[in-house]
Amino acid sequence: MSTELTVLTLAALLQVVQFLLYAVPANREVGPGYTMSPRDRAPSRPMSDQTARLGRAFDNHFQGLILFTIAVGVIEMSGQNSGFTGLCAWIYLAARVAYIPAYAKGLRPGRSAIWSAGFLATTLMLLAALV
Amino acid sequence: MTETTILAAYGLLVLLTILLQVLGSLQTLSMGYLMSARDEPREVGRMTARMNRALTNSITAMALFAPAILLLVVQGKTTSTTLLVAQLFLVARIIYLPVYALGVPAIRTLAWLVGFAATAVLYLLAL
Repeated sequence: MSTELTVLTLAALLQVVQFLLYAVPANREVGPGYTMSPRDRAPSRPMSDQTARLGRAFDNHFQGLILFTIAVGVIEMSGQNSGFTGLCAWIYLAARVAYIPAYAKGLRPGRSAIWSAGFLATTLMLLAALV
Repeated sequence: MTETTILAAYGLLVLLTILLQVLGSLQTLSMGYLMSARDEPREVGRMTARMNRALTNSITAMALFAPAILLLVVQGKTTSTTLLVAQLFLVARIIYLPVYALGVPAIRTLAWLVGFAATAVLYLLAL
């Protein structure tokens, strides 16, 4: 398996971890009675800032992950794997891992800078596929 | 140009949408707020709210378009027809963005519909 595909697998597993990082404290805070309901109303007990941040970090990674999946898919399908695209993939993963504590702690401007690194790595991979 | 090229180009289009959405947010929200953890939600301008919705829609479209291309390429079922349909998808999604931002009603729906139908045709051709 190529570096890019290995990193893609790890990135998808990271999303499983992010789900747990959000869902476990969210269930503790708003209660499973609410989370298992159809959630027609807002929860009566508020969620802590940190848990809400982990939820937003989880949502954000869905966007990042789908674009990264495209980038890896395109590189693999066209057989354009290179040291450069492998490096971009690792940078993407490292940025997305670092993004979680940066969001949870509310790092400013660290979180935005880390997000930009992941965004840039994906852009470069897609551009590498076109040139 | 192949289906894979179209997919890469669409990926770049969605990245551009994210960039426009961030830049648009700067019109009403301060850089300080954007870089914060955004614990209290804030209102964004009308144009930025449209870009937010366009982005959500583009991500949904991508989640459907990418597997269709993958299925065609992996099975070696790419033809001049699938390339044309993929190009149609890309053009429709390029039109969708400014049309949503400017609030043109019927054309936006039409562009969305073309992208949606193109994706559906790609899945049928992949079977």
